[in-house]
Amino acid sequence: MSSAPEEHLRLQEIGVSFGNVNVIPSLDLSVRKGEMVAFLGPSGCGKTTTLRVIAGLNKPSQGRIIVGGRDITHLPIHDRDMGMVFQSYALFPHMNVSRNVAFGLQMRKVSGRDAEARAAQALEMVQLGHLSHRKPKELSGGQQQRVALARALVIEPSILLLDEPLSNLDAKLRDEMRVQIRALQQQSGITAVFVTHDQVEALSMCDRVVVMRGGNVEQFGTPTEVYERPATAFVANFVGRTNRLKGRITSEGVLTAAGQQLRSATTLAPGAVDVLVRPHRIRLQETADAANEVQGTVSSITFIGDLVQYGVRVDDEEVVVEEATRRDRRPLAVSDKVTLGWSAEDTLVYPAGEK
Amino acid sequence: MSAVSASAPPRQWRDGELAILLLLPIALINAIGFILPVLNLARYSFNRSRIGGGIETVFTWENWAGLLSDRFYLELVFNSVWISLAITLTTLIASYPIALYLHRASGAWRTFLTVLVISPLLTSAVVRTYGWIAILIDDGPVVSAIKAVGLPAPSLMFNIKGVFIGLTEILMPYMILALMAGFGRLDPRVEEAARTLGATPARTFTKVILPLTLPGIALGCLLCFVLAVSSFITPKLMGGGRVFLLATEIYDQAIVTLNWPLASTLSMLVLIVFGAALWAYSVVLRRLD
Ligand SMILES: Nc1ncnc2c1ncn2[C@@H]1O[C@H](COP(=O)(O)OP(=O)(O)O)[C@@H](O)[C@H]1O
Ligand SMILES: [Mg+2]
Repeated sequence: MSSAPEEHLRLQEIGVSFGNVNVIPSLDLSVRKGEMVAFLGPSGCGKTTTLRVIAGLNKPSQGRIIVGGRDITHLPIHDRDMGMVFQSYALFPHMNVSRNVAFGLQMRKVSGRDAEARAAQALEMVQLGHLSHRKPKELSGGQQQRVALARALVIEPSILLLDEPLSNLDAKLRDEMRVQIRALQQQSGITAVFVTHDQVEALSMCDRVVVMRGGNVEQFGTPTEVYERPATAFVANFVGRTNRLKGRITSEGVLTAAGQQLRSATTLAPGAVDVLVRPHRIRLQETADAANEVQGTVSSITFIGDLVQYGVRVDDEEVVVEEATRRDRRPLAVSDKVTLGWSAEDTLVYPAGEK
Repeated sequence: MSAVSASAPPRQWRDGELAILLLLPIALINAIGFILPVLNLARYSFNRSRIGGGIETVFTWENWAGLLSDRFYLELVFNSVWISLAITLTTLIASYPIALYLHRASGAWRTFLTVLVISPLLTSAVVRTYGWIAILIDDGPVVSAIKAVGLPAPSLMFNIKGVFIGLTEILMPYMILALMAGFGRLDPRVEEAARTLGATPARTFTKVILPLTLPGIALGCLLCFVLAVSSFITPKLMGGGRVFLLATEIYDQAIVTLNWPLASTLSMLVLIVFGAALWAYSVVLRRLD
């Protein structure tokens, strides 16, 4: 027997249509027990819809949903045992915090006192024990968010489903909650799906990332894989930022771009290509050991504090280079001639025109 | 320079002043069209009636004392309140599913259905009442249909049953509109949250939908109760003179018997009933918050 982690959730050829609009053509996905998977993609790509299909809130027009080896495609919502955290939190406005959290237990026929104790415990877990008698409208956004989380976790669901849970919080709170949600998920060992359009959330919180686009999976991999080896130019652009240079591969298999020959770790059929390089993977001046070296002229300098962003004119294309601010070298000035260098691994090549 | 400083600075309205100014027209209309006539009625209720419709302007408790010691009038008040409450309840039960459906509908379909719900209000209650009489009368389509199935023929017209059916239908548009106005707190996401937490559709209804729509229910019931108590044409026509309610009795006393002081006293009694209903409504609303 291999020690590969057990599969917990499988989506098989799931398709969703609203009226005659086919939002998700056919989606396959497998999530392992205890891992947290991010659905990452631009707004409208079908992340929420897929999450709602898992919860039973949307009916798929085709395909199967399997949880723990059991086909739940036709199971009613209330029998699915999913803990869902809605983007708008969706707390019960007529119940206080404690009764909100106890609701799921009450529906599971847990006795009143037991339910109360477990709700109190769940509220302690999200540090809200002292607010158990407040109504939702008397709480801040961050507090409501944590109540929603406690309400979903207290029932010890089969899968925790989170729909952009941090998008309505301010930046500082968002950072805190990121750490807290990940810690809670790991402590409880629960399988979780985390929907987000924010690459930082996806990369920093999740074991694996599903990059989605127009209802399709563009890439499914660990954060490092998705960032370092993007399967498509879309993924490279959406997960982190890139420069894009027009290039081509000759019939001898030689890659040229920016008016010269470049080396890449990827091989591709001859033809027009796009060459993608991340701004902070390009070095300025100290390029002795770089696989690729090109000459350019500084055209703009933007100081961002920790970073300096240079616009460099190469051939007739604009390349953005980012560098940590430093004092050991004479600062560059506009119109300076510079040498840019980067490695073959950082030279990502895709068929031309791919968005 | 001097010209500028000489001109008066633009008048600055303070909040209170502006509010009073804006409220003045409606306050005036209310005072002339509502408060004064009511005070006038209150005055009549302490006057004495003369045979033939005259009013003797003396101060007397006779009307009030007579009314409160007469079983007929006490039963009249009790019946009116009781029947109105029952009609309000049936109207609520008949309207709630429609209002909920309308609340959830969207787009052109919703507009169409809303117009359909409101359209009875475009027809006079008199016309609709005659319509109901034609439908419910002894040889009408409903009774014939019941007879055709072999069931004993019920008498649906010119008794309390007719009034019940007619008023329920006439009040439904008001109830539906009031319910919809009060359904603002009902968020589909909240219902979905209940479902994912393990609530069956039935429990989602009792634990989430019903509590969240209580403000609408309270508003609709208040409105329909008041309209039912004060409705006059439908009980008069569909009751066939055999159903005695406060509003019909006030009409008889004022127009037929010409006993204005007694009619005024009954009217004041209706006002007291309305006051009680309003108080109950405010208590419910405060409890809900
Ligand atoms: N109830 C619905 N009716 C019609 N179209 C919908 C509905 N819900 C979502 N859509 C459409 O489906 C697509 C995917 O939506 P969604 O899953 O919410 O995207 P995301 O969560 O990734 O932003 C969008 O184009 C959206 O307009
Ligand atoms: Mg979404």
